Amino acid sequence: MVYTLLSIAAFVSVFPFLWLIVGATNISSDILSGKTTPGHALFDNIVKLTQQVDLVQLFYNSTKIAVISTILTLIVASLAGYGFEIFKSKFSERVFAGLLAMLSVPFAALMIPLFVTMAQLHLINTHTAVILPTVASIFVIFYFRQASKSFPMELRDAARVDGLREWQIFLFVYMPVMRSTYAAATIITFMASWNNYLWPLIVLQTNEMKTITLAVASLLSAYVPDYGVVMVATTLATLPTLLIFFILQRQFVQGLLGSLK
Amino acid sequence: MTGLKLSNVRKTYGVLEVIKDVSLEVKPKEFVVFVGPSGCGKSTLLRMIAGLEKITAGDLEIGGKRMNEVEPSKRGIAMVFQSYALYPHLTVRENMGFALRFAGVPKNEIIKQVDAAAQTLELGALMDRRPGELSGGQRQRVAIGRAIVRKPEVFLFDEPLSNLDAELRVHMRIELARLHKSLAATVIYVTHDQVEAMTLADKIVVMRNGLISQVGSPLDVYDNPDNMFVAGFIGSPKINFIKGVVDGVSKSGLTVVLPGYQDAKVTFATKNSSVPVGDSVTVGLRPQHFNTTGKMKFKLNVELVEHLGGESFVYAGNGSGDLITVATQEGRGLKSGQKFDAHIDPAKALLFDANGQRVR
Repeated sequence: MVYTLLSIAAFVSVFPFLWLIVGATNISSDILSGKTTPGHALFDNIVKLTQQVDLVQLFYNSTKIAVISTILTLIVASLAGYGFEIFKSKFSERVFAGLLAMLSVPFAALMIPLFVTMAQLHLINTHTAVILPTVASIFVIFYFRQASKSFPMELRDAARVDGLREWQIFLFVYMPVMRSTYAAATIITFMASWNNYLWPLIVLQTNEMKTITLAVASLLSAYVPDYGVVMVATTLATLPTLLIFFILQRQFVQGLLGSLK
Repeated sequence: MTGLKLSNVRKTYGVLEVIKDVSLEVKPKEFVVFVGPSGCGKSTLLRMIAGLEKITAGDLEIGGKRMNEVEPSKRGIAMVFQSYALYPHLTVRENMGFALRFAGVPKNEIIKQVDAAAQTLELGALMDRRPGELSGGQRQRVAIGRAIVRKPEVFLFDEPLSNLDAELRVHMRIELARLHKSLAATVIYVTHDQVEAMTLADKIVVMRNGLISQVGSPLDVYDNPDNMFVAGFIGSPKINFIKGVVDGVSKSGLTVVLPGYQDAKVTFATKNSSVPVGDSVTVGLRPQHFNTTGKMKFKLNVELVEHLGGESFVYAGNGSGDLITVATQEGRGLKSGQKFDAHIDPAKALLFDANGQRVR
């Protein structure tokens, strides 16, 4: 019974991916007719895609945004999470509670103020405008704070006795010890940044600046969308996140289970 | 090696005072053990000496220099933690050389010092392993090695053996004692295990509720406890306390009636006869002091016997609910329910007044 349920759940999870890959090899009419077997149109779909969009530019834009955003988010969130957990005070607890309350504010409510801010900073249609609002991710700060609870305080004490300053303790003890947490946060942040759609759609206005996610969406907005091309574009857009996940898979699972044993 | 001095040291967290006016002098090369129940402040005091907790009031001197505001790494101390606190991402070699690396010691010198410490602790074969690949005892040795490499003036140990199993604890205890001899170092050692305290210490500091209850050599603290707390904490099995009332005061001593034991009257020789007639007192009798010839006799019924091989612990009562523990080498034949006469020499008894302070 358990295995049956698990098999159904596994099939439901995997089917969209399979359909995506199979769809990438079929022509639009076959996809619309519900064909679920591989076809021979993969190469044609790729050629059509490259004719419609500048793939290299799109991948460059997406990768640049995702990488910078991930690095900055990890730096800011891990410093904040570590700080909130290690240097506790009544004031810091209140600030943290305020941050958590911000999680309940929907992005739709922040869009206009954010856009106005970016406009005033003359950052509209720049990648900086996409990256900046993601850097202080409250969820990732929360994640690092929770993970920091498993960081043994005696290690910090030992490092202090060994003569390390606070920044050295963070850099040479905390970061390597919490590498599983960093791996999990890397995957979460990279995927969120790579798949980010709404905010880049608002602030990126020229084709040269757009990301792969926006390009895939624009393919769908054609008068008669070519679903084979859409499927190829989506498959290609999924590959980097899959790659990151497989590289960091082991640490990701460890990071979610707890950083230290 | 150097000594250490605490003068009227206090520690408060808000309104809560956890260390209350502690003064203590530790001589160079002395092995001092802070012992006491959980929450008595012994670890906090050690952390204050290490510089990991701020000193709210009072002075700390190490080697004659005031150290209150000095950073931990510059106090000339090294600390071994309860959980060893080895850096899990570094090898044994890297762990041991970590402090020297950040002190700017040249690589060649680090290698030399680490190898020397490794040789002392027989860690040679483990140098390239990570802490996760070591047993508890090996980790403990690495933690000690990490401390030795820093060549500190004072070693601080915070319950270093409490995570080890009983057999390994005894082994490490002997190793620590040997190491102290070979390094001729000043050591401050925190434990709640009074056996560790008795076996390792040159000087025991018994703590309770943030205060020092008594300071003395292990045997002094055992034979001449200042109060009921120290008498009860030091010694295994625990000392027996029997309630009594002063019935008479004379030049020869105090005569005490023991209401729980058929109103038996016992005279205890004492120079201090300041306890008035009618006052409550407590008689302390060590389980090991019972014999078959002592003048003071208790008629008891055996409730439980623990045979340890060499000796037996007899838990016996007189029906009042209180149990007296007797340690005897002739208890092999004793069984639950059997009648049992316990004798003790009154000269061996300890006497405490109603406030728990020692009378004799």
